Amino acid sequence: MLWLLVFAILPVLFLVCLSLWTATIFGIEQTWTLANYQTIVSDAVYASILLKTLRISAIATLLSLALSYPLAMFLVSLKGRTRSLFLLLIFLPFWSSYVVRSFMWLPVLGKTGLVNQILLALGITNAPVEWLLFNEGAVYVGLVYVYTLFMVLPIFLSLDRIDPSVIEAALDLGGKPYQIFARVVWPLSLPGVWSGCVMVFLISVGAYVTPQLLGGTSGTMIGNVIAGQFLNTNNWPLGAALSIALIVMVAVLFAIVGRRLGLKQLFLGARA
Amino acid sequence: MRPEGAYSSLLLRVYAALFYAFLYVPILVLIILSFNNSPAMGFPFLGFTTKWYGQALAGGELLTALVNSIMLGVVSASVATVLALLASFGLRHRFPLKGLVFPVILIPIVMPGIVSGVLLLVYIGLAGLPYGLWSAVLPAHITWVLPFAFLTLHPQISRFDTSLEEAAMDLGARPAAVFWRVLFPIIRPALIATLLFSFTISFDEFIRTLFVISAERTVPIYLWVLIIDRVAPFLPAMGVVLMAISMAIAGAGFVLTQRTSTSPN
Repeated sequence: MLWLLVFAILPVLFLVCLSLWTATIFGIEQTWTLANYQTIVSDAVYASILLKTLRISAIATLLSLALSYPLAMFLVSLKGRTRSLFLLLIFLPFWSSYVVRSFMWLPVLGKTGLVNQILLALGITNAPVEWLLFNEGAVYVGLVYVYTLFMVLPIFLSLDRIDPSVIEAALDLGGKPYQIFARVVWPLSLPGVWSGCVMVFLISVGAYVTPQLLGGTSGTMIGNVIAGQFLNTNNWPLGAALSIALIVMVAVLFAIVGRRLGLKQLFLGARA
Repeated sequence: MRPEGAYSSLLLRVYAALFYAFLYVPILVLIILSFNNSPAMGFPFLGFTTKWYGQALAGGELLTALVNSIMLGVVSASVATVLALLASFGLRHRFPLKGLVFPVILIPIVMPGIVSGVLLLVYIGLAGLPYGLWSAVLPAHITWVLPFAFLTLHPQISRFDTSLEEAAMDLGARPAAVFWRVLFPIIRPALIATLLFSFTISFDEFIRTLFVISAERTVPIYLWVLIIDRVAPFLPAMGVVLMAISMAIAGAGFVLTQRTSTSPN
């Protein structure tokens, strides 16, 4: 506990202090000011990148949900060894660094990549297309790819917990498959859905590697801007203020979702 | 009609096949390209070679980074597992503010990755401590790994039957003996699994390392520097090596947890 106090809570307080100071060409001046926050709110660049990050993360989360839910249903329908095998196959790619997993899309979507190779071979295009990479679309592909496990797993767990007799009862009462899904399965799987969505959204909001590698200039997210403030521009206080703004937005989200479900359920269902 | 009939339609299987393709095609591409005898990364495939593996390993830089990553992983996994064990045992007792423990342990997971990265940069910078592998990256990794270690360990410990300990103590065993002779053998599989998972989480971590590592290199950092520098033809081979290491270690952890979760507690 003490460890977390020193390395998780104290640093946040430091960050808050830093965000209230000013950067000058001579270094950081410790005068208290809200100027950095004013910059974020008034400078369209920062406000729009924050909103864009929320948008990208939300879309990536929904895409991930749409792709993962049917897969979780598939996994639940399996039994015994086959189930373990297919679960293992879901886990396997996620046991390598997200740097590698983001990087992998370069030779797939790139100019000399797999997709272009197929398009050329099929005669669909006669020159390699370049719009596959370095844009927002590529960031979606990357984020969904890198973090789907966090969506599949909690949904799978909550679907798995549904008592088969409940579905049997619904069938006996004459429920059609889509009715059973909409009225029985989907509502019962909601805890898993929420847990997955929160995890994927959370990780996407703080993403740096994926947009940096795949996003180009149009796919930039707040993570890249914050990193820039610390690594290139050397405006630490502004970077700190941007970080705080991000934390506050995430905290608000958590307050809303956490009230509905409770933290414990959200995370014990979602552990990797 | 069996209840699962609603699930296991043909459509679902076709979809699953596509999904697995989505997961594995990029990995396959990476593996194929790692053997591609072409001076540029990408297709077409110009013949089989293993020279990129030689180049990736040459110069010893990857090896140094690997040693750094492994040592870092071992130390941070051990420390985090011990801390998580203590926290899990602590949570079996009643104490004031107990309700706060869980949310606080989760802070490092809930914090957006980029923020965690700069957080320690600022913290260590303002405290005037040196950046580097052991002074800055190690605490960063322990902090990051701890919640995962806790989430893996806590369910195992919390359902542990206290009557076994009580029986041992009634029979006159001292606390140390109770731990080593009674508790430890039972939780050992869970402990090993936690250690291995923690190790891979540390081994794969990038963003929480990047800002505080100064000139030293861990494996993901080394790969990143190379990618950013230029897209070199040996990068796929490097990626394959890294993937193989993490997967092998995490795979062992997975097998162990499967075993502990299927065996009766």
